[in-house]
Amino acid sequence: MRDTNSFDDFYRSTSGRALRYGYAVAEDPGEAQDLVQEAYARAWRQWGTLTAHPAPEAWLRLVISRLATDRWRRLRGWRLAASRTGPPDDVGPPGEDSVLLVGALRQLPVRYRQALALHYLFDMPVAEIAREAGVPTGTVKSWLSRGRTRLAELLPGLATEELEVDDVA
Amino acid sequence: MSRELTRLYRALAADTDPRALPDPDQVRRRADRRARNRATLGALTAAVLVAGTAVGARLVLAAGPDVPPGPPAATPTAGASTPPASGTPSPSRSAATPSRTPAAPRTSARPPATTPTSIPDRAFFALPAANDAGTGSQFVPGPVLPALCGATPGEAQVVTRRARTLAVKLAGAAADAVPDGSYRQSVTVYRAGRADDALRELSQAVRGCPEQPLADAPGVTVTQRLLDGARYGDESVLFETRTPYRDVNGAPTGGDEVHLIRAVRIGDVVTVLWEQGWEGTSTDRSQFEADSRRATEAVRRWLG
Repeated sequence: MRDTNSFDDFYRSTSGRALRYGYAVAEDPGEAQDLVQEAYARAWRQWGTLTAHPAPEAWLRLVISRLATDRWRRLRGWRLAASRTGPPDDVGPPGEDSVLLVGALRQLPVRYRQALALHYLFDMPVAEIAREAGVPTGTVKSWLSRGRTRLAELLPGLATEELEVDDVA
Repeated sequence: MSRELTRLYRALAADTDPRALPDPDQVRRRADRRARNRATLGALTAAVLVAGTAVGARLVLAAGPDVPPGPPAATPTAGASTPPASGTPSPSRSAATPSRTPAAPRTSARPPATTPTSIPDRAFFALPAANDAGTGSQFVPGPVLPALCGATPGEAQVVTRRARTLAVKLAGAAADAVPDGSYRQSVTVYRAGRADDALRELSQAVRGCPEQPLADAPGVTVTQRLLDGARYGDESVLFETRTPYRDVNGAPTGGDEVHLIRAVRIGDVVTVLWEQGWEGTSTDRSQFEADSRRATEAVRRWLG
């Protein structure tokens, strides 16, 4: 039996962070909302077992990352089934910095976006990112390093300081 | 750059926070509604197939030689979208079809009298519990082969066909993980002695289409090539499709997305297993081989 109260508590306490993360790995705010809602819908379907998961929020982020791949966008049938619910956005467009960042992130593989978001949005150390992504720490360092190098190329006006590779170690 | 990035991510977070998600009860209701719709759709599909059995069988039986195929005929077992468990069958490599001589009449391995006119669920293989992604089989219309430069191999001399879509996960994956791949599997019954033509046409079509534009990605090509591999059934054809991984704008990101497709002939029946991936995954070869064996064995058991 799935416990609605515990799911609702989980949703309320994590959905803000999940939406930030979704925006950092998706293409735009609307898509981020789609992805995040779809991830929570999947979480609810498996809530009976997910409550025993050691890190349900990490599980949720993993689902969001996977949904953010372009493969999912091409699966229109699945996408239609996951169409957005609720009232339309009543907030304004994102600010210039967000648009710039998300525009540059679109040029990066989802794995890089995932690692960068965990590092910069959640202040996660490399070892924890590696655990969450299920890859060696060296791989995460490589993703972060390449991701930042690529972002520096894509955001030339902002790349005035030298790359600080050490801070991803 | 690092401090700049921190600032940009903070801006992104600040832009995201005012965007409200629906209340949790709405998300729960939507998930439950989808689950119910999926169950209803499965039951509806079974009902339509049952209703179509008599009509389809009549059309097929009434059709003379060289008449285009009738609609799919099927006799699904009640409420079963997943066929019964198949155990761990092993491939048969001893029944290779002798090469045809020009003077010989076209023959497949089985006599025409055994050509079935309908395809039951048990003709499709069952995934072991360790690989079952829990999505069940969806018997839905759609292509049964990837695009091959417009060629349509194996579409002539069809008596009946059924095809399904199902998701698969690799053994050892977490129970709550999303699937690792997905299959499109078809089972096609050909007129007596014509199934080997279908495999020959398929090989020719793959050889004749080494590269083609990818339908939904301008400027991107997909390559096809035949592969050597273990033989299944009376004869089999294995090929791959390969496209570069791309970001959302279509720019290559390194590496290839590779999918395997295998057609196996057992008598007058051909089953095609087309691994389509899940959210960008490539085919896991060992899983694909195991499922090729299961698909072959399921058809063998069905044909007796």
